[in-house]
Amino acid sequence: MALPKRIIKETERLVAEPVPGIQAVPHEDNLRYFDVSIHGPTQSPYEGGVFKLELFLPEDYPMTPPKIRFLTKIYHPNIDRLGRICLDVLKANWSPALQIRTILLSIQALLGAPNPDDPLANDVAQRWKEDEPGAIATAREWTQTYATS
Amino acid sequence: MAPSRSSRNSLQSVDLRALDYLTVPSANLLCPICHSPLITPVQTRCLHTFCSACISLSLDRSLSCPVDRKPLSHDDVTPAPIMIANLVNDLPVLCPNRERGCTASCARWLVESHVREDCEYASVKCAKEGCDGMVERREAEGECVHEEVQCEYCEGSVKKVDLESHNRECPKLSSECPHCLQAFANPELAAHMAECPEEIVECSASCYGCSYTSRRSDIESHTSTCHFVALSPVLQLHAERIATLELENKAIRQKLDLLVPPRPLPTPTSSTVTTTASNPMSASSQVSSTTTAGRDMTSEMQDYTFHLYSEYEQLRSDVERLNAQIRELDVKQDMARINEGLRYNDEMTGVRAAINGLRMQLHWLLANRREAGTSSPATSGNAGRAVAGGSANGGEIRRMSDSARQVVKL
Repeated sequence: MALPKRIIKETERLVAEPVPGIQAVPHEDNLRYFDVSIHGPTQSPYEGGVFKLELFLPEDYPMTPPKIRFLTKIYHPNIDRLGRICLDVLKANWSPALQIRTILLSIQALLGAPNPDDPLANDVAQRWKEDEPGAIATAREWTQTYATS
Repeated sequence: MAPSRSSRNSLQSVDLRALDYLTVPSANLLCPICHSPLITPVQTRCLHTFCSACISLSLDRSLSCPVDRKPLSHDDVTPAPIMIANLVNDLPVLCPNRERGCTASCARWLVESHVREDCEYASVKCAKEGCDGMVERREAEGECVHEEVQCEYCEGSVKKVDLESHNRECPKLSSECPHCLQAFANPELAAHMAECPEEIVECSASCYGCSYTSRRSDIESHTSTCHFVALSPVLQLHAERIATLELENKAIRQKLDLLVPPRPLPTPTSSTVTTTASNPMSASSQVSSTTTAGRDMTSEMQDYTFHLYSEYEQLRSDVERLNAQIRELDVKQDMARINEGLRYNDEMTGVRAAINGLRMQLHWLLANRREAGTSSPATSGNAGRAVAGGSANGGEIRRMSDSARQVVKL
């Protein structure tokens, strides 16, 4: 099936005017599959790290949200061991007016503001609530170990 | 009977969303969902505008506005103002058959009729009755290209439209190699031609002067002994150097031409006269005369260059002299103008003084007259009127003085 014009336009714009700190490159053999890397926001435990993600646009995108997953290990209350992300706009709050770039910006914002009250990784969220400085230290450590090359 | 134009209507459908626009449309005219200029624009209760198809697809999944997430149902969607529809329908688009060669562009609302009725590249039904094939409109008048014909060689049936490409690939079709006279199947011929041992080929150093030619199978023995081949690396190096020098020479010549514009030689007749005069003197001196002619040419060139230089210098001094003269004239003219101006100024002040004097006199005269009028109207010389007026009433006097005042004002 031919690629919808909207995906072509979005890809062109992502390449022509990239969002600062975010890269999204489509695969040559499947233009619906993107390799994404997000720089950890400054003044967060993820600062200095570069996190790799995979992004897939399903057949009925933009009516359904893109599927996104972290490939780099990350210590975050809303991201689980498999890299799945708990973010409302990726699920119930998706709107076809959102786009790849706005979603990636939301994920970058989620790194800057973890939300332990709506957890996906229960153990991490628990620790985040009880011992925030310790959790942040672990997050920083993981960033150093897994997200810096 | 030729089929009517209407029966040639293309059934090709136009996907408005896939169109390319001639200009970049304003971002305000784009649908937030498909990011293309709106198609059949509709408006929601919260005053957002979408393509009709896009919003209904979105509402099938979630009953909220995609932009502000306010609750929304299918009933809250109404057609957008006509103006918006007109704006997007008027956007110029490129013909969807652009890749086949159509260069047309038109307003978006016309593109469907362009493809259906006009576009020479749209696919239409083949003109032949009973044929289901499709052809581009510009080829529709010709004979049907969908008839099956039999390949002369492989006995398979091929459509006429594909015959040309089939002939290139037909495995049964073979051609003769022009060199070894053996027959090869079409796909293998090109590979064979490149290495046919019977082909007469030239020595690899033929460009340096070796005239040896032989069959390809025998050329190997020649190359091992050919002196030209042995020398060819050196010769090639020289050839490359000469090429670069020629290029450089060309560039330098261009620069020279720019500096010294070419002109006809000043005295070409004199040189030809001397050479023709020396020729009949003796046949044996012909060689020497040509060499002297050559020498003459170089000295003449030098003379000519000197001549040019002197001419150039002379012209330059001329120009400088003229410039100085012009400047001098300018100064002179300025002085003259200033002098004249001063004179005129003097004259003007004189005239102004005279006018002032006259004005003073006029004032004095008028004042005098007014005074005379008030003291006794009889003295004004109009005795008859004074008598007729009898007792000269004040009104008339005032009128007189009034008119006098008016004159002063004027």
